[in-house]
Order: sequence, then structure tokens, then C-alpha cells
Amino acid sequence: MLGVVGLWPAGYALNLALTTFDGAFSGLSNFTGSYNQGFLIPAFEHVGEFMLIWLTALIVMVIGLSLFMHTLAPRVSAAFRFMFYVPAAFAGSASVLLWLFMFQPGLSPWDFVLHALGYKTLGDTLISGNLPIIYALIAFWTGAGSWILVIHGALTNVPDEVLEAASLDGAGPLQTALRIKLPMIKKWVVYMLIVAFAGGTQLFAEPQLVSVANLGLVSPVWSPNTLATYLAFQYNNFNWAAAISIDLLVVAFVCAGVLVFRTRLFKAD
Amino acid sequence: MRPVNVSVKLDVSVASQPWSLASSAKRLVLWAVLAVVAIFFVVPILWLLLETTRAGQTGPDTQAGAPLAFGSLHQLVANWQVLFSGLVGQIGTWLENSFLYSGSGVLIAVGLGIPAGYGLATFDFFGRRLLLLTTMIAMLIPTNALVLPLVLEAHSLGMLSSPFAVILPYGLFPFGVYIAYLYFNAPRVFGLLAAARSDGCSEWQAFRHVALPLSTPVLGLVVVLDFIASWTNYFLPWGMYLAFGCTASSTTNIACQTGRYPVTLGVAQQLMAGAPAPFAVPQLSGTVLSSVQMQTNAPASVEALLIFVSCAPVIIVLVIAQRWIASGRLQGIFV
Repeated sequence: MLGVVGLWPAGYALNLALTTFDGAFSGLSNFTGSYNQGFLIPAFEHVGEFMLIWLTALIVMVIGLSLFMHTLAPRVSAAFRFMFYVPAAFAGSASVLLWLFMFQPGLSPWDFVLHALGYKTLGDTLISGNLPIIYALIAFWTGAGSWILVIHGALTNVPDEVLEAASLDGAGPLQTALRIKLPMIKKWVVYMLIVAFAGGTQLFAEPQLVSVANLGLVSPVWSPNTLATYLAFQYNNFNWAAAISIDLLVVAFVCAGVLVFRTRLFKAD
Repeated sequence: MRPVNVSVKLDVSVASQPWSLASSAKRLVLWAVLAVVAIFFVVPILWLLLETTRAGQTGPDTQAGAPLAFGSLHQLVANWQVLFSGLVGQIGTWLENSFLYSGSGVLIAVGLGIPAGYGLATFDFFGRRLLLLTTMIAMLIPTNALVLPLVLEAHSLGMLSSPFAVILPYGLFPFGVYIAYLYFNAPRVFGLLAAARSDGCSEWQAFRHVALPLSTPVLGLVVVLDFIASWTNYFLPWGMYLAFGCTASSTTNIACQTGRYPVTLGVAQQLMAGAPAPFAVPQLSGTVLSSVQMQTNAPASVEALLIFVSCAPVIIVLVIAQRWIASGRLQGIFV
């Protein structure tokens, strides 16, 4: 009986995706149509650039910092973890508005950096070449903290005996980190990368708000999601929009499928 | 391990104690990196807090003084009064809406997720494994991936701008089902349930009086995580309350149903005052807008206060729940 209740939330999402799919399923014409528009590939390229920066930052900074913080006194480490996690509270539109202030020369506490780069107006900062790194900065600011929590949690699960054995065998802190801890948390690093990748393809709030804030100097069709919403609500072309959202859903399904079936992170028995 | 071997190894480990010059230099570098990253994370929040105490005269560009300077408490009160005066937006209504949407979503997530996880863990029925796999896939799909399909569906059902259009999706929290399942799927729980049944409990009584009281840690985790996710969601309410309503009334986007907005939309709306449409049409080369100050509804100091107030409930939840978000976030996944 309770299993039927379990069906509901899980089946809900699937059902919603499928009903839209039915509406859009007039052959593949919507998919090719949205593709031939010439905006979809650039949108994926933009997100690709964003992803390159964002995933590199996650690997280098999150893992590096987590490994280092794991060697600190527990209280110190906890204080830092909390500091990194607090910006998660600003996720969504608040972080974007806040960071727009951060990119506003004359107002930003980073004014000296913007000045050194030669930016005098917000429009200078938001030139299109800067957008991937700007979005990656915002995403890193709001998102890195929770990944640090996850990696830290994985590190605390490395058994003490293993670490003791390593130090008995003469491993220094660096060697322990790279040769013992890193391999033992490998699957969580993979988990982080896949989930962050799937989330990255969904980029919406940052490009949409920056586009609005900058009075049309920034393309409103920068990412696949903003392109899809632009098609849906500006041109009332729901079918193409649905096709793009199905493209994205397929990416998300593949990522989720890899995590569930190829890694041994989640158990179902 | 032979004792001789151990003593040899011990010597090596003493030699590589982190007191040597090279390794303490390395540690110094690591500390420096940590400090720089910490500054990167803290300064925006520090700026936000300080900005709320300053006098933002007419626009963001007319700020006087260094960016990270304290204004006065008096000015903070003045900014507060401006924010709640109704001139900047309907912050009170938006906060109420956010509480309504997130709160109802959390109630649904808990009310369905905990029993569902319990059912999956304790009963063996046809299709159980499939259901579990579906739950796991669903929890790994980014929430944004379902926004557009949801909006299109709500549109076809005529449910746009109904509170349920956001409450029901917020109630979908498969991660909650999964951690409840993991929690109940433990020998300890099975033992207690078996004892309860042999003492004559019905299935319902076993759930109500044994499983439910046991589940408080999971319950708390589901509440906190779903609340944060719902409160900070921007894309979904944008699609439900802004995207359609605004193109329909093509005058200004402020004419949209601002009374329905949660705070995330309210915050975003601050940016749109200067923009002609929900999407500003891209200007092609030739028209050079030499803008560009950001166009906001109010001075930066008031906007900063708005940002802070809109996120304050989440910050409070984070501070209270800090300890077991850190452990609990993983306790469910790690077995």
C-alpha cells in the first residue's frame, strides 16, 4: 500500500516529461528545427566553455582544499567548511544580483581588480568573452561549499587504521593525500563531476539575469535553457522549446544512469 | 608485521616530520591559498552586510566612500523603511509567498517521502527494484531539467500562476525518499519492527509508533534540504509566474503578477526595471549602448538589504542545522 505512495513522487517527474514529449512528438522535425536555427550549437559551446572552467575549478580547488582542510584541527576545518557553505543560501537570483554589484566598477569591493583589468563600466566587465568565467565564478561561489562538504564527508570515511598504516610506512602528508586518500574517495570525485556536469548543462539564472541586467548587450539565447525559454515565450514555439528541453533531459538521464548503474554509489536491494 | 620492520619504518616517518623547512614552506603556501579562497567567499557577504548600513543616494554609481566601509545604524533603519515602504516592491508579500510555497512543498515531501521510503525498505512487492531505480534516477536529475516541461504542462492545464504550480514540484523530493529508504533499510530497524509485530502491532501501528519516531533525523534532513532547494529556486517560479504573464501584457514586465512572486523573483525583478521586456532583444553591432550602470529599482544599499532579507530564512536554517547538514548530507548516502 505504501509502495503505491512511493510510486507517486518518482512517477510524477517521468509522467510530466512524457506528456510534454507526446505533445512534441511529431517525428523528429522539432529537434531538427531547433537545431537548424543555428543558435543551439553556440549555446552548447558557451555552456561547454563554462563547464571547462567550472569543472576544473571544482577538481582543483574543492579536492585540494578538502584534502588540506582534512589535515587541520577539526574545529578550524569546520569553521572553514561553514564559511564556504554559507553562500549556498544565496543560490538562485540573489547570488546573481549580488555578483552584478561585485562586477560593477566603482561600487565593487573588487574595484581594484576591475580597475587593473581596465574595466570602467559594468558593460566592460560583461563582454561576451568574459561570460563563461563570470558564470563559473558565481556558480563556484554558491556551489563549491556543498561539494566541499561532500568530499570532506568522504574523507572522514577513510578508516583511521589505513592512515595510521600509511604514516607508519613513512608517508608524508602530501603522499598520504595523493596516494591514500585520493584513491579512496575517487568514486565521490566521479559523482561530483557527473552531477556538476549535468547541472551545468542546465545553466539558466545567471545568463538570463545578466542578459536582462545589461540591457540586451548580452545575448538572451546564451545557454540552451535560455534559448529554449526564449523560443517558448518570445516566439510561442513550444515545440522547439520542448525539443531542446528533451535534449537536455536526455543528457541528464544519461548522467544519472551512469551514476546509478556504472558506479557503486547507490544500492538498491 | 615483523617488529624489526616496524622500527625501520618508524625512523623514516620521524625523518619526514613536517618540521623541515621545505614542508613548512609548502604548508605556508597551502594556508595562503586557503586564505585567498576564504576571502573570495567572505568578501561578497561582508560587502552585502556593510552596504545595508550605507546611504545609497540615487543610483549605484553615486556611492561615496570605500566599498567596504561601515555606514551607520541610523542609515540601516532608513534603508529598512524604504525597503518595506512598498516603493521598491512587495517584500512582505514575497516573503509570505516563499514561506507558503516552500513550506507546503516541504510538507508534501515529508508526508509522501518518509512513508514511501519506509514502504520501499520494509515491504517486498512487485516492481520494488524498478521503483527504487526510478527514485535514484529522479534524484540525480537536476531540478532545472524539468522546469520547462512543467511550465508547458501547467500551461496546457491552465494551472499557470496557481500556487500549486510551484508547490507540487517542490513536493517532489526523491532524495528524501531515498535517504528514508536507506535509514529504514537497516537491521536495527528490522529488529524493532519485528519485535513490534510480535507484540501485536498492526502494520499501521508499527509505522506510526515505531518507525516514525525513529525517523526524526531523516525527517529533519529532508525538511532542511527541500526547504533550501525550494526557497532558492528561481527558474520554476520564473516560468510559472513571469514568462507567460509578461509576454501577454507586453507593456512592462512589472505589470506581471508580482503579488504571486516568491522572493527569488522579487529580487530578480529589481533588475528588470530598466529592461523593456522579460528578454531584452539583443542589440546587434551598430547600436552601441554606452551604458552601463546596472538599472535597479532602488539604490544599491536598499537592494543589498533586499538580498539579505530574502536569504535570511535560509541563512538561519543553515546556522541552526549546520552540524548535521555537514554529517547528514552524507550519512544517508554512505552506508
